[in-house]
Amino acid sequence: MSRYVVRFSVRQRIEHVSVMILFLTLSVTGLPQKFFDSWWATPVILVLGGIDQVRWIHHAAGLTFTLLIVVHLTTAIGLVVTGRSPLSLVPTRQDFRDAIQTLKYYLGMTDEQARFDRFDYRQKFEYWGLVLGAVVVIVTGLVLYFPLLATRYLPGEIVPAAKLAHGNEGLMAFLVVIIWHIYNAHLSPDVFPFDTSIFTGKISRKRMAHEHPLEYARLQEAEQSREP
Amino acid sequence: MPHSTLITLLAVLSLQPTQVSPPAKNEGTEQCLACHGDKSLSVTLPSGEARSLFVDQERFAGSVHGGKLGCVDCHADVQELPHKSRPFRTRREFTIGYYEQCKRCHFSNYSKTLDGVHYASLARGDRNAPVCVDCHGAHDVTSPAKPRSRISQTCATCHEGVSRTYASSVHGRALFEEKNADVPTCTDCHRSHDIAGPRNTDWRLRSPELCASCHTNEQLMAPYGLSTKVMQTYLADFHGMTASLHRSEGKPAEPQVLPALCVDCHGVHDIAKAKGPTSAVIKANLLKTCQKCHAGASQNFSDAWLSHYEPSLKRTPMIFIVKIGYAFLIPFMIGGLALQILLHLWRVVVNR
Repeated sequence: MSRYVVRFSVRQRIEHVSVMILFLTLSVTGLPQKFFDSWWATPVILVLGGIDQVRWIHHAAGLTFTLLIVVHLTTAIGLVVTGRSPLSLVPTRQDFRDAIQTLKYYLGMTDEQARFDRFDYRQKFEYWGLVLGAVVVIVTGLVLYFPLLATRYLPGEIVPAAKLAHGNEGLMAFLVVIIWHIYNAHLSPDVFPFDTSIFTGKISRKRMAHEHPLEYARLQEAEQSREP
Repeated sequence: MPHSTLITLLAVLSLQPTQVSPPAKNEGTEQCLACHGDKSLSVTLPSGEARSLFVDQERFAGSVHGGKLGCVDCHADVQELPHKSRPFRTRREFTIGYYEQCKRCHFSNYSKTLDGVHYASLARGDRNAPVCVDCHGAHDVTSPAKPRSRISQTCATCHEGVSRTYASSVHGRALFEEKNADVPTCTDCHRSHDIAGPRNTDWRLRSPELCASCHTNEQLMAPYGLSTKVMQTYLADFHGMTASLHRSEGKPAEPQVLPALCVDCHGVHDIAKAKGPTSAVIKANLLKTCQKCHAGASQNFSDAWLSHYEPSLKRTPMIFIVKIGYAFLIPFMIGGLALQILLHLWRVVVNR
Protein backbone atom coordinates (compact mmCIF):
# COMPACT_ATOMS: atom_id res chain seq x y z
CA MET A 1 0.00 0.00 0.00
CA SER A 2 1.38 3.37 -1.05
CA ARG A 3 2.35 5.76 1.70
CA TYR A 4 0.66 8.52 -0.30
CA VAL A 5 -2.87 9.29 -1.38
CA VAL A 6 -3.78 11.46 -4.36
CA ARG A 7 -5.42 14.60 -3.00
CA PHE A 8 -5.53 16.98 -5.99
CA SER A 9 -6.14 16.22 -9.65
CA VAL A 10 -3.75 17.47 -12.34
CA ARG A 11 -6.31 20.06 -13.33
CA GLN A 12 -6.59 21.37 -9.77
CA ARG A 13 -2.81 21.62 -9.54
CA ILE A 14 -2.62 23.57 -12.80
CA GLU A 15 -5.38 25.89 -11.57
CA HIS A 16 -3.44 26.55 -8.39
CA VAL A 17 -0.18 27.34 -10.14
CA SER A 18 -2.02 29.60 -12.60
CA VAL A 19 -3.79 31.49 -9.84
CA MET A 20 -0.51 31.81 -8.00
CA ILE A 21 1.32 33.32 -10.97
CA LEU A 22 -1.59 35.58 -11.93
CA PHE A 23 -2.15 36.69 -8.35
CA LEU A 24 1.49 37.64 -7.99
CA THR A 25 1.48 39.49 -11.31
CA LEU A 26 -1.71 41.33 -10.44
CA SER A 27 -0.40 42.27 -6.99
CA VAL A 28 2.93 43.52 -8.28
CA THR A 29 1.30 45.60 -11.01
CA GLY A 30 -1.78 46.57 -9.02
CA LEU A 31 -0.56 47.64 -5.58
CA PRO A 32 1.83 50.32 -6.90
CA GLN A 33 -1.14 51.77 -8.77
CA LYS A 34 -3.23 51.88 -5.62
CA PHE A 35 -0.39 53.39 -3.59
CA PHE A 36 1.13 55.36 -6.45
CA ASP A 37 2.17 58.27 -4.27
CA SER A 38 4.10 56.26 -1.70
CA TRP A 39 7.87 56.11 -1.84
CA TRP A 40 8.15 52.55 -3.14
CA ALA A 41 5.51 52.69 -5.85
CA THR A 42 7.26 54.82 -8.46
CA PRO A 43 10.47 52.73 -8.50
CA VAL A 44 8.42 49.55 -8.92
CA ILE A 45 6.47 51.08 -11.80
CA LEU A 46 9.67 52.34 -13.43
CA VAL A 47 11.34 48.93 -13.15
CA LEU A 48 8.32 47.35 -14.81
CA GLY A 49 8.60 49.74 -17.76
CA GLY A 50 6.38 52.67 -16.84
CA ILE A 51 2.74 53.11 -15.97
CA ASP A 52 1.42 52.39 -19.46
CA GLN A 53 3.18 49.04 -19.55
CA VAL A 54 2.21 48.24 -15.95
CA ARG A 55 -1.43 48.81 -16.88
CA TRP A 56 -1.07 46.65 -19.96
CA ILE A 57 0.35 43.77 -17.93
CA HIS A 58 -2.33 44.22 -15.27
CA HIS A 59 -5.09 44.14 -17.89
CA ALA A 60 -3.65 41.06 -19.61
CA ALA A 61 -3.24 39.19 -16.32
CA GLY A 62 -6.69 40.33 -15.18
CA LEU A 63 -8.38 39.07 -18.32
CA THR A 64 -6.55 35.72 -18.02
CA PHE A 65 -7.61 35.48 -14.39
CA THR A 66 -11.19 36.24 -15.42
CA LEU A 67 -11.07 33.45 -17.98
CA LEU A 68 -9.67 31.05 -15.39
CA ILE A 69 -12.37 31.88 -12.86
CA VAL A 70 -15.15 31.67 -15.44
CA VAL A 71 -13.95 28.27 -16.64
CA HIS A 72 -13.50 27.06 -13.07
CA LEU A 73 -16.93 28.16 -11.89
CA THR A 74 -18.86 26.96 -14.95
CA THR A 75 -17.14 23.58 -14.73
CA ALA A 76 -17.79 23.36 -11.00
CA ILE A 77 -21.45 24.32 -11.40
CA GLY A 78 -21.79 21.83 -14.24
CA LEU A 79 -20.31 19.03 -12.15
CA VAL A 80 -22.46 19.86 -9.15
CA VAL A 81 -25.66 20.10 -11.21
CA THR A 82 -25.03 16.75 -12.90
CA GLY A 83 -24.21 15.21 -9.55
CA ARG A 84 -20.67 14.29 -10.50
CA SER A 85 -18.97 16.43 -7.87
CA PRO A 86 -18.80 15.82 -4.16
CA LEU A 87 -19.98 18.85 -2.19
CA SER A 88 -16.85 18.78 -0.05
CA LEU A 89 -16.28 22.57 -0.28
CA VAL A 90 -19.78 23.64 0.69
CA PRO A 91 -19.79 25.28 4.11
CA THR A 92 -21.92 23.44 6.66
CA ARG A 93 -23.01 24.00 10.22
CA GLN A 94 -20.28 21.55 11.21
CA ASP A 95 -17.68 24.06 10.00
CA PHE A 96 -18.87 26.62 12.54
CA ARG A 97 -18.77 23.98 15.27
CA ASP A 98 -15.23 23.06 14.14
CA ALA A 99 -14.14 26.68 14.24
CA ILE A 100 -15.42 27.10 17.79
CA GLN A 101 -13.86 23.79 18.81
CA THR A 102 -10.51 24.87 17.33
CA LEU A 103 -10.68 28.21 19.11
CA LYS A 104 -11.36 26.43 22.39
CA TYR A 105 -8.41 24.15 21.73
CA TYR A 106 -6.12 27.11 21.01
CA LEU A 107 -7.23 28.77 24.23
CA GLY A 108 -6.52 25.61 26.16
CA MET A 109 -10.15 25.12 27.13
CA THR A 110 -10.12 21.63 25.67
CA ASP A 111 -7.49 19.12 24.57
CA GLU A 112 -9.71 17.61 21.96
CA GLN A 113 -9.10 18.88 18.42
CA ALA A 114 -11.83 19.20 15.81
CA ARG A 115 -11.83 16.30 13.35
CA PHE A 116 -11.98 17.53 9.78
CA ASP A 117 -13.27 16.02 6.59
CA ARG A 118 -11.73 16.61 3.13
CA PHE A 119 -11.55 20.38 3.64
CA ASP A 120 -11.37 22.06 7.02
CA TYR A 121 -13.19 25.32 7.73
CA ARG A 122 -10.04 27.37 7.10
CA GLN A 123 -9.61 25.89 3.64
CA LYS A 124 -13.28 26.46 2.81
CA PHE A 125 -12.97 30.03 4.06
CA GLU A 126 -10.00 30.61 1.82
CA TYR A 127 -11.64 29.04 -1.21
CA TRP A 128 -14.85 31.03 -0.89
CA GLY A 129 -12.92 34.14 0.02
CA LEU A 130 -10.99 33.78 -3.21
CA VAL A 131 -14.13 33.15 -5.28
CA LEU A 132 -16.06 36.07 -3.80
CA GLY A 133 -13.01 38.34 -3.95
CA ALA A 134 -12.45 37.31 -7.55
CA VAL A 135 -16.02 38.20 -8.46
CA VAL A 136 -15.57 41.65 -6.86
CA VAL A 137 -12.25 42.42 -8.57
CA ILE A 138 -13.42 41.05 -11.92
CA VAL A 139 -16.66 43.04 -11.98
CA THR A 140 -15.04 46.26 -10.73
CA GLY A 141 -12.03 45.66 -12.98
CA LEU A 142 -14.26 45.41 -16.03
CA VAL A 143 -16.00 48.65 -15.04
CA LEU A 144 -12.60 50.33 -14.87
CA TYR A 145 -11.46 48.77 -18.12
CA PHE A 146 -14.60 49.73 -20.02
CA PRO A 147 -15.90 52.87 -18.31
CA LEU A 148 -17.68 54.13 -21.43
CA LEU A 149 -19.65 50.90 -21.69
CA ALA A 150 -20.35 50.70 -17.96
CA THR A 151 -21.70 54.24 -17.73
CA ARG A 152 -24.02 53.67 -20.66
CA TYR A 153 -26.16 51.61 -18.28
CA LEU A 154 -25.00 52.61 -14.81
CA PRO A 155 -24.57 55.95 -13.02
CA GLY A 156 -21.17 57.62 -13.44
CA GLU A 157 -20.39 57.27 -9.76
CA ILE A 158 -19.93 53.54 -10.40
CA VAL A 159 -16.48 54.23 -11.88
CA PRO A 160 -14.78 55.89 -8.88
CA ALA A 161 -16.67 53.51 -6.57
CA ALA A 162 -15.35 50.55 -8.57
CA LYS A 163 -11.85 51.98 -8.42
CA LEU A 164 -12.01 52.22 -4.64
CA ALA A 165 -13.52 48.74 -4.26
CA HIS A 166 -11.06 47.19 -6.73
CA GLY A 167 -8.02 48.54 -4.92
CA ASN A 168 -9.31 47.71 -1.46
CA GLU A 169 -10.43 44.22 -2.41
CA GLY A 170 -7.07 43.61 -4.05
CA LEU A 171 -5.24 44.88 -1.01
CA MET A 172 -7.32 42.67 1.29
CA ALA A 173 -6.72 39.62 -0.90
CA PHE A 174 -3.01 40.37 -0.92
CA LEU A 175 -2.89 40.69 2.87
CA VAL A 176 -4.93 37.51 3.38
CA VAL A 177 -2.57 35.61 1.13
CA ILE A 178 0.68 36.88 2.57
CA ILE A 179 -0.51 36.49 6.16
CA TRP A 180 -3.00 33.65 6.27
CA HIS A 181 -2.15 31.52 3.26
CA ILE A 182 1.61 31.75 3.66
CA TYR A 183 1.20 30.83 7.31
CA ASN A 184 -0.99 27.84 6.61
CA ALA A 185 1.05 26.59 3.65
CA HIS A 186 4.56 27.36 4.89
CA LEU A 187 5.10 28.82 8.33
CA SER A 188 2.64 26.91 10.48
CA PRO A 189 4.46 24.38 12.68
CA ASP A 190 2.08 21.72 11.28
CA VAL A 191 3.46 22.01 7.74
CA PHE A 192 6.73 23.93 8.05
CA PRO A 193 8.56 24.52 5.76
CA PHE A 194 6.30 23.67 2.85
CA ASP A 195 2.99 21.92 2.31
CA THR A 196 3.67 20.41 -1.12
CA SER A 197 0.30 18.72 -1.66
CA ILE A 198 -1.10 21.26 -4.10
CA PHE A 199 2.00 20.99 -6.31
CA THR A 200 2.60 17.23 -6.21
CA GLY A 201 -1.05 16.34 -5.76
CA LYS A 202 -0.03 13.85 -3.04
CA ILE A 203 -0.60 13.76 0.70
CA SER A 204 0.97 11.22 3.03
CA ARG A 205 -1.36 8.86 4.83
CA LYS A 206 0.16 10.04 8.11
CA ARG A 207 -0.70 13.68 7.44
CA MET A 208 -4.09 12.78 6.04
CA ALA A 209 -4.95 10.80 9.16
CA HIS A 210 -3.90 13.79 11.24
CA GLU A 211 -5.42 16.64 9.22
CA HIS A 212 -8.41 15.03 7.53
CA PRO A 213 -9.35 12.10 9.83
CA LEU A 214 -12.98 11.81 8.67
CA GLU A 215 -11.95 11.61 5.01
CA TYR A 216 -9.18 9.18 5.89
CA ALA A 217 -11.57 6.95 7.81
CA ARG A 218 -13.85 6.80 4.77
CA LEU A 219 -10.87 5.98 2.57
CA GLN A 220 -9.79 3.10 4.83
CA GLU A 221 -13.32 1.74 4.91
CA ALA A 222 -13.50 1.79 1.12
CA GLU A 223 -10.11 0.09 0.82
CA GLN A 224 -11.09 -2.65 3.27
CA SER A 225 -14.40 -3.35 1.53
CA ARG A 226 -12.54 -3.70 -1.77
CA GLU A 227 -10.14 -6.25 -0.33
CA PRO A 228 -11.42 -9.77 -0.65
CA MET B 1 31.63 101.79 -47.75
CA PRO B 2 29.59 104.89 -48.43
CA HIS B 3 29.57 107.63 -45.92
CA SER B 4 25.90 107.08 -45.05
CA THR B 5 26.69 103.68 -43.59
CA LEU B 6 28.87 105.25 -41.01
CA ILE B 7 26.64 104.73 -38.10
CA THR B 8 27.35 106.33 -34.86
CA LEU B 9 26.00 104.44 -32.00
CA LEU B 10 25.53 106.30 -28.88
CA ALA B 11 23.21 106.43 -26.03
CA VAL B 12 23.34 109.74 -24.41
CA LEU B 13 22.37 110.70 -20.99
CA SER B 14 22.15 113.81 -19.07
CA LEU B 15 22.88 113.52 -15.42
CA GLN B 16 23.07 117.13 -14.50
CA PRO B 17 19.48 117.63 -13.40
CA THR B 18 19.30 114.67 -11.06
CA GLN B 19 22.64 114.05 -9.49
CA VAL B 20 26.33 114.48 -9.40
CA SER B 21 28.08 112.67 -12.19
CA PRO B 22 30.15 109.77 -11.00
CA PRO B 23 33.66 110.35 -12.23
CA ALA B 24 35.24 108.58 -15.16
CA LYS B 25 32.21 106.50 -16.10
CA ASN B 26 30.23 109.33 -17.47
CA GLU B 27 33.12 110.97 -19.02
CA GLY B 28 32.28 112.13 -22.46
CA THR B 29 28.53 112.04 -21.99
CA GLU B 30 28.30 115.71 -22.65
CA GLN B 31 30.52 115.27 -25.59
CA CYS B 32 28.13 112.61 -26.94
CA LEU B 33 25.14 114.82 -26.43
CA ALA B 34 26.73 117.60 -28.36
CA CYS B 35 25.78 115.65 -31.46
CA HIS B 36 23.16 113.13 -30.24
CA GLY B 37 21.09 115.75 -28.51
CA ASP B 38 20.09 116.93 -31.93
CA LYS B 39 16.64 115.65 -32.85
CA SER B 40 17.35 115.70 -36.54
CA LEU B 41 20.49 113.56 -36.34
CA SER B 42 19.92 110.38 -38.33
CA VAL B 43 21.48 108.02 -40.83
CA THR B 44 20.06 106.09 -43.72
CA LEU B 45 20.93 102.41 -43.65
CA PRO B 46 21.74 100.37 -46.76
CA SER B 47 18.25 98.93 -46.46
CA GLY B 48 16.86 102.40 -46.98
CA GLU B 49 15.58 102.65 -43.43
CA ALA B 50 16.28 105.83 -41.57
CA ARG B 51 17.76 105.44 -38.13
CA SER B 52 17.42 108.36 -35.79
CA LEU B 53 20.51 108.94 -33.72
CA PHE B 54 18.79 111.31 -31.34
CA VAL B 55 18.84 110.40 -27.66
CA ASP B 56 16.17 111.93 -25.47
CA GLN B 57 18.10 112.73 -22.32
CA GLU B 58 15.00 113.27 -20.23
CA ARG B 59 13.64 109.84 -21.02
CA PHE B 60 16.93 108.27 -20.21
CA ALA B 61 17.09 110.12 -16.92
CA GLY B 62 13.69 108.71 -16.05
CA SER B 63 14.75 105.15 -16.87
CA VAL B 64 16.09 102.69 -14.32
CA HIS B 65 19.58 103.39 -15.62
CA GLY B 66 19.25 107.13 -15.39
CA GLY B 67 21.92 108.51 -13.09
CA LYS B 68 23.65 105.16 -12.93
CA LEU B 69 25.13 104.57 -16.33
CA GLY B 70 26.87 106.71 -18.87
CA CYS B 71 26.75 106.32 -22.66
CA VAL B 72 29.94 104.35 -23.02
CA ASP B 73 28.95 101.87 -20.31
CA CYS B 74 26.75 100.24 -22.90
CA HIS B 75 28.35 101.65 -26.03
CA ALA B 76 31.75 100.56 -24.85
CA ASP B 77 33.09 100.05 -28.35
CA VAL B 78 32.72 103.69 -29.23
CA GLN B 79 36.14 105.06 -28.57
CA GLU B 80 36.93 107.59 -31.23
CA LEU B 81 35.61 110.50 -33.17
CA PRO B 82 34.44 110.31 -35.83
CA HIS B 83 33.04 106.82 -35.01
CA LYS B 84 34.19 103.79 -36.89
CA SER B 85 32.01 102.39 -39.61
CA ARG B 86 29.60 99.64 -38.46
CA PRO B 87 28.59 96.79 -40.73
CA PHE B 88 24.83 96.93 -40.04
CA ARG B 89 22.60 97.01 -43.09
CA THR B 90 19.21 97.17 -41.38
CA ARG B 91 17.77 98.49 -38.13
CA ARG B 92 17.17 94.92 -36.99
CA GLU B 93 20.76 93.93 -37.63
CA PHE B 94 21.81 96.81 -35.50
CA THR B 95 19.52 95.78 -32.62
CA ILE B 96 20.61 92.17 -32.73
CA GLY B 97 24.23 93.10 -33.05
CA TYR B 98 24.01 95.33 -30.05
CA TYR B 99 21.65 93.71 -27.55
CA GLU B 100 24.29 91.60 -25.86
CA GLN B 101 25.60 94.74 -24.18
CA CYS B 102 23.04 94.03 -21.45
CA LYS B 103 24.81 90.87 -20.33
CA ARG B 104 27.75 92.83 -19.04
CA CYS B 105 25.63 93.65 -16.00
CA HIS B 106 22.59 91.34 -16.31
CA PHE B 107 24.47 88.16 -16.91
CA SER B 108 22.17 85.82 -15.06
CA ASN B 109 19.04 86.91 -16.91
CA TYR B 110 20.95 86.97 -20.16
CA SER B 111 22.11 83.39 -19.74
CA LYS B 112 18.56 82.35 -18.87
CA THR B 113 17.40 83.63 -22.24
CA LEU B 114 19.76 81.15 -23.89
CA ASP B 115 17.39 78.41 -22.66
CA GLY B 116 14.30 80.20 -23.89
CA VAL B 117 12.17 79.76 -26.99
CA HIS B 118 12.92 83.26 -28.23
CA TYR B 119 16.62 82.66 -28.33
CA ALA B 120 16.01 79.31 -30.00
CA SER B 121 14.07 81.11 -32.74
CA LEU B 122 16.83 83.66 -33.10
CA ALA B 123 19.43 80.90 -33.32
CA ARG B 124 17.37 79.25 -36.04
CA GLY B 125 17.62 82.48 -38.01
CA ASP B 126 14.39 84.28 -37.15
CA ARG B 127 15.61 87.86 -36.99
CA ASN B 128 12.28 88.98 -35.53
CA ALA B 129 12.69 86.87 -32.39
CA PRO B 130 12.72 89.33 -29.49
CA VAL B 131 15.92 90.24 -27.71
CA CYS B 132 16.35 92.16 -24.43
CA VAL B 133 15.57 95.62 -25.77
CA ASP B 134 12.44 94.50 -27.62
CA CYS B 135 10.68 93.81 -24.34
CA HIS B 136 12.55 96.12 -21.98
CA GLY B 137 13.31 99.09 -24.24
CA ALA B 138 16.76 100.58 -24.70
CA HIS B 139 17.28 104.10 -23.40
CA ASP B 140 13.91 104.10 -21.71
CA VAL B 141 14.12 100.88 -19.64
CA THR B 142 11.67 100.99 -16.75
CA SER B 143 10.45 98.32 -14.37
CA PRO B 144 8.66 95.80 -16.59
CA ALA B 145 6.02 94.96 -14.00
CA LYS B 146 4.82 98.44 -13.11
CA PRO B 147 1.92 98.24 -13.37
CA ARG B 148 1.55 94.46 -13.43
CA SER B 149 -0.68 94.54 -16.48
CA ARG B 150 2.27 95.94 -18.42
CA ILE B 151 3.80 92.45 -18.53
CA SER B 152 0.93 91.06 -20.55
CA GLN B 153 0.81 94.16 -22.70
CA THR B 154 4.47 93.71 -23.55
CA CYS B 155 3.85 90.14 -24.74
CA ALA B 156 0.81 91.35 -26.67
CA THR B 157 3.11 93.36 -28.92
CA CYS B 158 3.75 90.13 -30.81
CA HIS B 159 1.33 87.59 -29.30
CA GLU B 160 -1.73 89.57 -30.10
CA GLY B 161 -4.35 86.84 -30.51
CA VAL B 162 -3.48 84.89 -27.42
CA SER B 163 -3.27 88.09 -25.41
CA ARG B 164 -6.78 89.01 -26.44
CA THR B 165 -8.00 85.57 -25.34
CA TYR B 166 -6.18 85.96 -22.06
CA ALA B 167 -7.66 89.40 -21.50
CA SER B 168 -11.16 87.95 -21.59
CA SER B 169 -10.33 85.01 -19.29
CA VAL B 170 -11.02 84.98 -15.58
CA HIS B 171 -7.39 85.84 -14.92
CA GLY B 172 -7.08 88.51 -17.60
CA ARG B 173 -10.27 90.29 -16.64
CA ALA B 174 -9.19 90.48 -13.03
CA LEU B 175 -5.82 91.83 -14.07
CA PHE B 176 -7.03 94.49 -16.48
CA GLU B 177 -10.42 95.42 -15.08
CA GLU B 178 -9.87 95.05 -11.34
CA LYS B 179 -6.11 95.68 -11.23
CA ASN B 180 -5.98 92.47 -9.23
CA ALA B 181 -2.40 91.49 -8.38
CA ASP B 182 -3.29 87.90 -7.37
CA VAL B 183 -3.88 86.62 -10.87
CA PRO B 184 -1.12 85.30 -13.10
CA THR B 185 0.16 87.33 -16.03
CA CYS B 186 1.93 85.72 -19.00
CA THR B 187 5.29 85.41 -17.27
CA ASP B 188 3.92 83.73 -14.14
CA CYS B 189 3.22 80.61 -16.17
CA HIS B 190 5.59 80.96 -19.11
CA ARG B 191 8.46 82.56 -17.16
CA SER B 192 10.19 85.63 -18.51
CA HIS B 193 13.76 85.03 -19.61
CA ASP B 194 13.88 81.26 -19.95
CA ILE B 195 10.48 80.93 -21.57
CA ALA B 196 9.79 77.28 -22.27
CA GLY B 197 8.04 76.11 -25.39
CA PRO B 198 4.50 75.33 -24.28
CA ARG B 199 4.11 72.62 -26.92
CA ASN B 200 6.91 70.70 -25.32
CA THR B 201 5.53 67.53 -23.64
CA ASP B 202 7.74 67.92 -20.64
CA TRP B 203 6.49 71.44 -20.05
CA ARG B 204 2.91 70.31 -20.46
CA LEU B 205 3.37 67.54 -17.92
CA ARG B 206 4.69 70.08 -15.47
CA SER B 207 1.84 72.50 -16.07
CA PRO B 208 -0.38 71.22 -13.21
CA GLU B 209 2.30 72.40 -10.82
CA LEU B 210 1.99 75.89 -12.26
CA CYS B 211 -1.72 75.95 -11.54
CA ALA B 212 -1.16 74.35 -8.15
CA SER B 213 1.38 76.95 -7.11
CA CYS B 214 -1.52 79.38 -6.68
CA HIS B 215 -4.52 77.06 -6.43
CA THR B 216 -3.20 75.15 -3.41
CA ASN B 217 -2.33 78.33 -1.56
CA GLU B 218 -5.05 78.80 1.02
CA GLN B 219 -4.25 82.40 1.73
CA LEU B 220 -4.46 83.26 -1.93
CA MET B 221 -7.63 81.28 -2.63
CA ALA B 222 -9.63 82.24 0.46
CA PRO B 223 -10.87 85.63 -0.78
CA TYR B 224 -12.34 83.94 -3.84
CA GLY B 225 -13.86 80.98 -2.00
CA LEU B 226 -11.87 78.54 -4.16
CA SER B 227 -11.00 75.05 -2.97
CA THR B 228 -7.32 74.33 -2.38
CA LYS B 229 -7.86 70.59 -2.71
CA VAL B 230 -7.96 70.73 -6.48
CA MET B 231 -4.48 69.28 -6.92
CA GLN B 232 -4.90 66.57 -4.33
CA THR B 233 -8.21 65.43 -5.82
CA TYR B 234 -6.78 65.59 -9.33
CA LEU B 235 -3.81 63.44 -8.35
CA ALA B 236 -6.09 60.92 -6.68
CA ASP B 237 -7.86 60.33 -9.97
CA PHE B 238 -6.69 58.50 -13.09
CA HIS B 239 -5.65 61.59 -15.00
CA GLY B 240 -3.55 63.08 -12.23
CA MET B 241 -1.96 59.80 -11.23
CA THR B 242 -1.02 58.97 -14.81
CA ALA B 243 0.33 62.45 -15.44
CA SER B 244 2.46 62.38 -12.33
CA LEU B 245 3.84 58.95 -13.20
CA HIS B 246 4.55 59.94 -16.79
CA ARG B 247 6.59 62.75 -15.35
CA SER B 248 8.54 60.46 -13.05
CA GLU B 249 9.31 58.24 -16.00
CA GLY B 250 11.35 61.11 -17.41
CA LYS B 251 10.73 60.03 -20.97
CA PRO B 252 7.71 62.11 -21.88
CA ALA B 253 4.86 60.13 -23.30
CA GLU B 254 3.64 60.74 -26.81
CA PRO B 255 1.42 63.83 -26.79
CA GLN B 256 -1.56 61.85 -28.04
CA VAL B 257 -1.52 59.56 -25.00
CA LEU B 258 -1.00 62.31 -22.45
CA PRO B 259 -3.63 62.17 -19.73
CA ALA B 260 -5.88 65.17 -19.19
CA LEU B 261 -4.05 68.00 -17.45
CA CYS B 262 -5.67 71.01 -15.75
CA VAL B 263 -5.61 72.96 -18.98
CA ASP B 264 -7.24 70.22 -21.05
CA CYS B 265 -10.51 70.62 -19.18
CA HIS B 266 -10.30 74.19 -17.91
CA GLY B 267 -8.72 75.76 -20.95
CA VAL B 268 -5.41 77.55 -21.24
CA HIS B 269 -5.61 81.24 -22.05
CA ASP B 270 -9.40 81.15 -22.08
CA ILE B 271 -9.85 79.77 -18.55
CA ALA B 272 -13.26 80.82 -17.27
CA LYS B 273 -14.69 80.85 -13.78
CA ALA B 274 -15.31 77.13 -13.05
CA LYS B 275 -18.91 77.83 -12.07
CA GLY B 276 -19.58 80.50 -14.68
CA PRO B 277 -21.88 79.96 -17.66
CA THR B 278 -19.03 79.72 -20.19
CA SER B 279 -17.01 77.27 -18.11
CA ALA B 280 -15.94 74.10 -19.90
CA VAL B 281 -16.25 72.16 -16.67
CA ILE B 282 -19.67 73.25 -15.51
CA LYS B 283 -22.13 70.37 -15.54
CA ALA B 284 -23.92 71.54 -18.69
CA ASN B 285 -20.67 71.63 -20.66
CA LEU B 286 -18.68 68.88 -18.93
CA LEU B 287 -19.76 65.99 -21.13
CA LYS B 288 -18.62 67.86 -24.21
CA THR B 289 -15.28 68.46 -22.54
CA CYS B 290 -14.94 64.74 -21.69
CA GLN B 291 -15.80 63.83 -25.25
CA LYS B 292 -12.78 65.72 -26.53
CA CYS B 293 -10.81 62.62 -25.52
CA HIS B 294 -13.49 60.02 -24.68
CA ALA B 295 -15.37 59.83 -27.93
CA GLY B 296 -18.81 58.30 -27.50
CA ALA B 297 -19.11 59.09 -23.80
CA SER B 298 -22.72 59.07 -22.60
CA GLN B 299 -24.28 61.54 -20.18
CA ASN B 300 -23.53 59.35 -17.14
CA PHE B 301 -19.86 59.16 -18.02
CA SER B 302 -19.04 62.69 -16.96
CA ASP B 303 -20.39 61.93 -13.49
CA ALA B 304 -17.49 59.52 -13.06
CA TRP B 305 -15.38 62.59 -12.46
CA LEU B 306 -16.16 64.02 -9.04
CA SER B 307 -15.36 67.62 -9.99
CA HIS B 308 -12.58 67.86 -7.41
CA TYR B 309 -14.98 67.02 -4.57
CA GLU B 310 -13.90 64.51 -1.98
CA PRO B 311 -16.32 61.61 -1.54
CA SER B 312 -19.05 62.37 0.95
CA LEU B 313 -22.18 60.57 2.08
CA LYS B 314 -24.37 63.31 0.68
CA ARG B 315 -22.75 63.88 -2.68
CA THR B 316 -21.43 60.42 -3.54
CA PRO B 317 -23.06 57.86 -1.25
CA MET B 318 -21.89 54.83 -3.22
CA ILE B 319 -18.22 55.76 -2.92
CA PHE B 320 -18.64 56.73 0.68
CA ILE B 321 -20.19 53.37 1.59
CA VAL B 322 -17.45 51.43 -0.22
CA LYS B 323 -14.84 53.49 1.59
CA ILE B 324 -16.33 53.00 5.03
CA GLY B 325 -17.08 49.33 4.30
CA TYR B 326 -13.48 48.48 3.55
CA ALA B 327 -12.21 50.66 6.37
CA PHE B 328 -13.96 48.21 8.69
CA LEU B 329 -13.65 45.01 6.67
CA ILE B 330 -9.91 45.02 6.07
CA PRO B 331 -8.78 45.51 9.70
CA PHE B 332 -11.48 43.09 10.89
CA MET B 333 -10.45 40.40 8.43
CA ILE B 334 -6.70 40.75 8.77
CA GLY B 335 -6.88 41.26 12.54
CA GLY B 336 -9.05 38.18 12.94
CA LEU B 337 -6.76 35.99 10.87
CA ALA B 338 -3.64 37.30 12.59
CA LEU B 339 -5.24 36.63 15.95
CA GLN B 340 -5.96 33.05 14.95
CA ILE B 341 -2.36 32.56 13.87
CA LEU B 342 -1.09 33.94 17.16
CA LEU B 343 -3.45 31.74 19.14
CA HIS B 344 -2.30 28.70 17.17
CA LEU B 345 1.34 29.49 17.83
CA TRP B 346 0.60 30.12 21.45
CA ARG B 347 -1.05 26.70 21.77
CA VAL B 348 1.80 24.97 19.93
CA VAL B 349 4.69 26.71 21.64
CA VAL B 350 3.53 27.72 25.08
CA ASN B 351 0.35 25.95 26.00
CA ARG B 352 1.13 22.41 24.88
